[in-house]
Amino acid sequence: MSAENRMVVERLVEAFQRGASLPDEIDLDNPMVKSVLEKMSDSRRKFFEAMAKNRVARKINVAQARGMRKYWNEVLHAKENGKKVAWVPFNFSPRIFHALGIIPVCVEGLDSMLMMLEEGIEPYLDLAVERGLPDTLCSAQRGVVGLFEAGVIEPPDLLLNGALGGCDPNSKIFEYMAEKWDIPVLFLDVPYYHDQRSHDYYAYEFKEVINTLMDMTGTRLDEDRLREVCELSNQAQELALEINDMKTNVPNPVPHAYNGGDTGMKIILDGTQDAVDFYQISRDLIAENLKNGVSAAKPKEKLRCLFIYTGYYFDGTFTYWLEEEMSVSLLSTVLSWFDHIPIIDTSSLNSMFYGLSTGMLNLPMTRQLKGSWNMPGNWMEDCLYYAERYKADCCVFTGHTACKQAWGAYRLVTDKLKEELGIPSTRLEGDGWDKRVTPMAVIKEQLEEFFSIVQENKQ
Amino acid sequence: MGAFKELSEVAKSLENKYTKQRKKQGGKTIGYVCSYVPEEIFYAAGILPYRITGKGVADTARADAYLTRVNCTFARCVLELGYSEKYEFLEGAVFMNGCDHIRRCYDNWKAHEKALPFMYILPIPHRLTPQGLQWYKEEVSLLKDAVERHFGVEIKPEKLAEASTMCNETRRLLRRLYDLRLSDAPPFSGAETHTILTASSVMPKDKFNELLSSLLDEAETRPKAANGKTRLLIAGSLMDDVDFINAVEDLGAVVVTDTLCFGARNVWNLTEESGDPFDALAERYYYHEPCPRMAGEYKRRLSFVKDQAERARVDGAILQHIKFCDMHGTDNALLKHDLEKEGLPVLELERQYGPLADTGRIRTRIQAFLERIGR
Repeated sequence: MSAENRMVVERLVEAFQRGASLPDEIDLDNPMVKSVLEKMSDSRRKFFEAMAKNRVARKINVAQARGMRKYWNEVLHAKENGKKVAWVPFNFSPRIFHALGIIPVCVEGLDSMLMMLEEGIEPYLDLAVERGLPDTLCSAQRGVVGLFEAGVIEPPDLLLNGALGGCDPNSKIFEYMAEKWDIPVLFLDVPYYHDQRSHDYYAYEFKEVINTLMDMTGTRLDEDRLREVCELSNQAQELALEINDMKTNVPNPVPHAYNGGDTGMKIILDGTQDAVDFYQISRDLIAENLKNGVSAAKPKEKLRCLFIYTGYYFDGTFTYWLEEEMSVSLLSTVLSWFDHIPIIDTSSLNSMFYGLSTGMLNLPMTRQLKGSWNMPGNWMEDCLYYAERYKADCCVFTGHTACKQAWGAYRLVTDKLKEELGIPSTRLEGDGWDKRVTPMAVIKEQLEEFFSIVQENKQ
Repeated sequence: MGAFKELSEVAKSLENKYTKQRKKQGGKTIGYVCSYVPEEIFYAAGILPYRITGKGVADTARADAYLTRVNCTFARCVLELGYSEKYEFLEGAVFMNGCDHIRRCYDNWKAHEKALPFMYILPIPHRLTPQGLQWYKEEVSLLKDAVERHFGVEIKPEKLAEASTMCNETRRLLRRLYDLRLSDAPPFSGAETHTILTASSVMPKDKFNELLSSLLDEAETRPKAANGKTRLLIAGSLMDDVDFINAVEDLGAVVVTDTLCFGARNVWNLTEESGDPFDALAERYYYHEPCPRMAGEYKRRLSFVKDQAERARVDGAILQHIKFCDMHGTDNALLKHDLEKEGLPVLELERQYGPLADTGRIRTRIQAFLERIGR
């Protein structure tokens, strides 16, 4: 476990502090930079080197790290500042918490951050299982259970899960944490369908949950503050849509570093000025790429690839490998499918509530995986929509082992992609967070083979 | 033929004499998956409800092309039976969104050329709230409409009330069966009980009630299990596998109770017989002893397990789950922690369903557990 057994959040703040203070230009041959690199773990060093070589990606990462440094610092000092902390899954928008003055912590976000630690995420994944959690549960949350078991994280004031129906492991892990560590928990049901009745049902549930949340935390919602949060969120979404429009260009000027940041903003900082700043910086950099005909894939875009589900997060260099060594533009993963999140009508409290809940029902995974694979507003529809919109040459299902609901439908979906758009897909098998399930070298080999076949057929 | 023999005959194969007879006479049979599907709706429509099982599958090669190795073997076995037309004696199949595996089983079967003429999914909320009950009532009403439309029948309130009374009678009789197993020398083994439970889910309830009633009347004269055997409770994932229970009992234990969705969880709650039959039915199914897919109900589930264990004076509990069943796997981890804290020995067991069931390993684990209990 952690060498110093220090609390994890403190160490995350330090990591973001380092990331946020990167200069605009980095000379990897500079002796001082070299000495810093030597102290990094192998995976961190490789990620740093990959990022440092790519100016636009680096600047996008720095913009993200600045917001995150501030945010994690707030998490760290929540108690002394009299703030409540609520843990949520990634498909629960943080906007309402920012309006209420409660600090949201996205469990999958925190889990992913563990990969920045010297010891990595694996000891925490293993500890959770050693203490009873089935190993078939998702590594995107399992690491956080390991933090509890190791005693290196403060329990939150409450848990709030909104993944019911979209993902079994996700909802069960919240119940597990609540019962095992006696943490108050709230659940928000997700309906099976995506029609008006479902939106109304969900909006009612959402309102009920927020009322209970306020009672539990002693917070009150200020309409003007909520409007401010919604307006910031609207600004961010408009910028994000503008960037997504730029992805439709050939070559694609949007580096994948942006997609990761986009997800990070939506699940942690949506509704804040920091998120707006991130999107503005990203938009300007990408617009410059577009204007200068700069492709995200180097030196020239050979293929455009859509990951129809999650990616591999355990190796930060992976997407740079795709772009810089394979010359493949990674258009997006399901975790940045935010096009259907509506701009919120801020004219009244009710309209804002409805806009927030509609947005949540359209968050990645909730939207696509909650019901049947081919219902309106579901996975198949979105795969076809994004593949067509971004002019994908091929699709990849990365096969995150815990996502049984996606595994159970990927064949139907990929058959449809082939049938309707003529786009080939491949299925891999690997864990997004646990590098031991399928080593990166194997994943790369399989992708290289696939890309070479697609490339051949394209020509 | 004795009542138990007749029930055993019914339970042992997919098609039984009642489903065959019905087909011959032009009657309809509908399959359903899960204890949240109200079978009374089908009885009221003059259709025989049949609880779908995954038994009798030699391998899951066809199903595995769509449901993969990370999907539970029960769902894969059901899909295999669907793809290989073993359920062609059914006019339809009604699923519910119980878990990620079973809803994908429905998706894949429905999308396949071997889909049955009537494929339907009944979505139920994941929380027990007044708003959720309302949603579920609307869904049951939509199911009723769909059945009426597809089969050209009318489901009348009085027929629904009759069906509720009949199904309640089944539950009362089964409850008597559970009560008889409380004795020191139970007249019915766990395997026999599961045979009876299986039969109850695949044959007409009126006939089943007659048979079970006469069987229970004979209980006094039945040979009893030896006194002093290790008394066990079984909980966890779907279990319609009599062989599993047999394997446990062959090792010198007797299964005296359970909290399974094929067993006690499906038997314990009755439908209110006064008032509006439709509302009463929906309320009974919605609020019946909850499955782990119902969020925030862990304490109620724990309490049900504890009550059953106490009532049946068990020496230990087997908490089993089918591999990749995160619902029961997670609940079992919590239950183990809480039950052991109260002094009840627990064996947590991950198993496979159907052809992948590794009987040897399971037997060894159970044997070791029985030795640990020291009875």
